[in-house]
Amino acid sequence: MEHGTIERDIHIEASPEVVFEVVSRPEHIREWWPDDAQLEPVAGAPGELVWRDAETGETTTVAMTVVEVDPPRRFSFRWCFADPNRSGPSLLVTFDLVPADGGTRVRMTEAGFREMGWEVAVLEEHYADHVTGWDHYIPALGAYVDRLVSAS
Amino acid sequence: MSTAVDDDLWSAIGDPTRRTMIDLLLAGGSGTATALSERLPVTRQAVSKHLAVLDRVGLVHAAPAGRERHYQVDEAQLARAVAQLSEVGATWDARLRRIKQLAEEIERNRTDNQEEGE
Repeated sequence: MEHGTIERDIHIEASPEVVFEVVSRPEHIREWWPDDAQLEPVAGAPGELVWRDAETGETTTVAMTVVEVDPPRRFSFRWCFADPNRSGPSLLVTFDLVPADGGTRVRMTEAGFREMGWEVAVLEEHYADHVTGWDHYIPALGAYVDRLVSAS
Repeated sequence: MSTAVDDDLWSAIGDPTRRTMIDLLLAGGSGTATALSERLPVTRQAVSKHLAVLDRVGLVHAAPAGRERHYQVDEAQLARAVAQLSEVGATWDARLRRIKQLAEEIERNRTDNQEEGE
């Protein structure tokens, strides 16, 4: 189990071709994620994810870069770049699609937390070493690790 | 916003030296810039700068004690950082459920259309 990674598996009653379109095409991505998405599913292509505040109408744009396009097997991209010019540490999201039981098994991984933020591994180490004072976040940490374990 | 990540907080704890400093402060209860610099391969000045970054995002608090300031980890704020990590997982669950819905809807429509065409 990689502590710096989020992993999820889900079975979808649709062909890998359909699922691939849903995870990689902007007209579908804006249905399951941001309010708007501009990207070309081409390796290396820069894209943008846009969120709109319903009350103020203000928008927040987040840069992303398409990494791998291998229909209908794999789609991956980077986002949350540390530097605005799409460089530095970032998060890598990968969708792996495998035909299963007449549908598709989707594995989503989001990696890069180890470089970007606090490591759960470090927290666990702390927990073992200094149990006192850690009561605050153990519930949150426990739920997180449970989900990681059940997903793997 | 939907990334559920507080950028400043994450970049503050994204630095390995600052993480080690939090480790040391947690282990010792509190510490000064001088005490921390003795246990780290960086100068006291560098430690002070790192402490300022941590202070700015509320991960540590300083209390004056004699000539130096004693720094302590704000456990509630650290807990918040950890909670954000688990929140990221929860938001992916929601996105994947939506992906499933959308794909299955498209699949059903395509199958229906094929049957009508036969």
